[in-house]
Amino acid sequence: MTDNRERAMDRPRSPDLQVYRPTLTMTMSIAHRTTGAALYLGMVLFVWWLVAAAAGPAAYAVEQRFMRSLPGLIILFGFTWAALHHTLGGVRHLIWDTGLAHDYPWREYLARATLFGSLSLTGILWIIGYLT
Amino acid sequence: MKSFLPLNWGLPGGSRIAAGKVFGTAEPGARLRMFQVYRFDPDNTGGPRLDTYYVNRDDCGPMVLDALIKIKNEIDPTLTFRRSCREGICGSCAMSIDGRNWLACTQPIDDIPGAVRIFPLNHFPVVKDLVVDLNHALAQHRLIEPWLKTETPAPEKERLQTPEDHAKLDGYYECILCFCCTGGCPSYWWNGDRYLGPAVLLQAYRWLIDSRDEATGERLDRLEDPFRLFRCHTIMNCTKTCPKKLQPAKAIAMTKAMLVERQH
Repeated sequence: MTDNRERAMDRPRSPDLQVYRPTLTMTMSIAHRTTGAALYLGMVLFVWWLVAAAAGPAAYAVEQRFMRSLPGLIILFGFTWAALHHTLGGVRHLIWDTGLAHDYPWREYLARATLFGSLSLTGILWIIGYLT
Repeated sequence: MKSFLPLNWGLPGGSRIAAGKVFGTAEPGARLRMFQVYRFDPDNTGGPRLDTYYVNRDDCGPMVLDALIKIKNEIDPTLTFRRSCREGICGSCAMSIDGRNWLACTQPIDDIPGAVRIFPLNHFPVVKDLVVDLNHALAQHRLIEPWLKTETPAPEKERLQTPEDHAKLDGYYECILCFCCTGGCPSYWWNGDRYLGPAVLLQAYRWLIDSRDEATGERLDRLEDPFRLFRCHTIMNCTKTCPKKLQPAKAIAMTKAMLVERQH
């Protein structure tokens, strides 16, 4: 303790993210937030697609040209992954909310399954997309 | 990766950590361990700093607390930290050790590779060195009324509980309120003013499921709040950083489930 009132009123805060060792579940939580925000922005592209389709062949062609370009494909690929990751993240939270899989190592398996599942499903979906 | 952010990234001016003093040097031949310890002296000017101590592992007990006591006794008597039982039951020596919160008395030095970095419990206001101000968290603990509440007349002897009903408290009554989990919870870092945090919510659940308690509804009313309870996003840091191996995240999940159940 200190007798210095000013110093006692204005205490420093102990560091948090600056010293906390990253854990997989914490990283997955951040990824859940990030993909959620990305999906929000991605909806703009989705709306563009719908509006262009309604507006007519010329507008639709412009939209399609962008989506088939490299930046468009990268964004679409990212959007696919974000959608799948966020969905699987939701399922993971649903399982945890029932009180299941809180024990070690199941909570880690669940977090790994989310990541592995979203990456492989994205890959599979795109392969199917190109084959058909 | 040691941490998501570099040491001083985003810290407000008064909380920035400067390079500190170095005590001792690496003597040849001795099995030395380097300890980097957060220091803050409220009686002087200047902000926090990170001091470095070299401790001879051959002349020191096995736990991090042994090293801290050795430093205080033999190297730097100004080092300040809380400790009492030195066997993991009082919860006093909770601190951030090598990137997670644990009791210094149950954390073996040899389990940590490289320099041992020690900080006060994350995001709490620092009173001095490794001592944090827990007033807010303890006020939140008072809010959930952590005692048996009854309305029925008191029986002549104690209120009885079957072994089966008592077994339901296993994994929840053992909490020693060290606040390792609350200090490790990102939701508490950012919404701790209104979110109750894992330690307090685990305590709340312990009273919710006590067969002798008669205030379950009232307790649930108090928790049904977007911040107090529902700021938990199941990040799981609490469960991983509990030195008593309890599962605050599960207690919170079950509390949410109780709130849903009573609507039907």
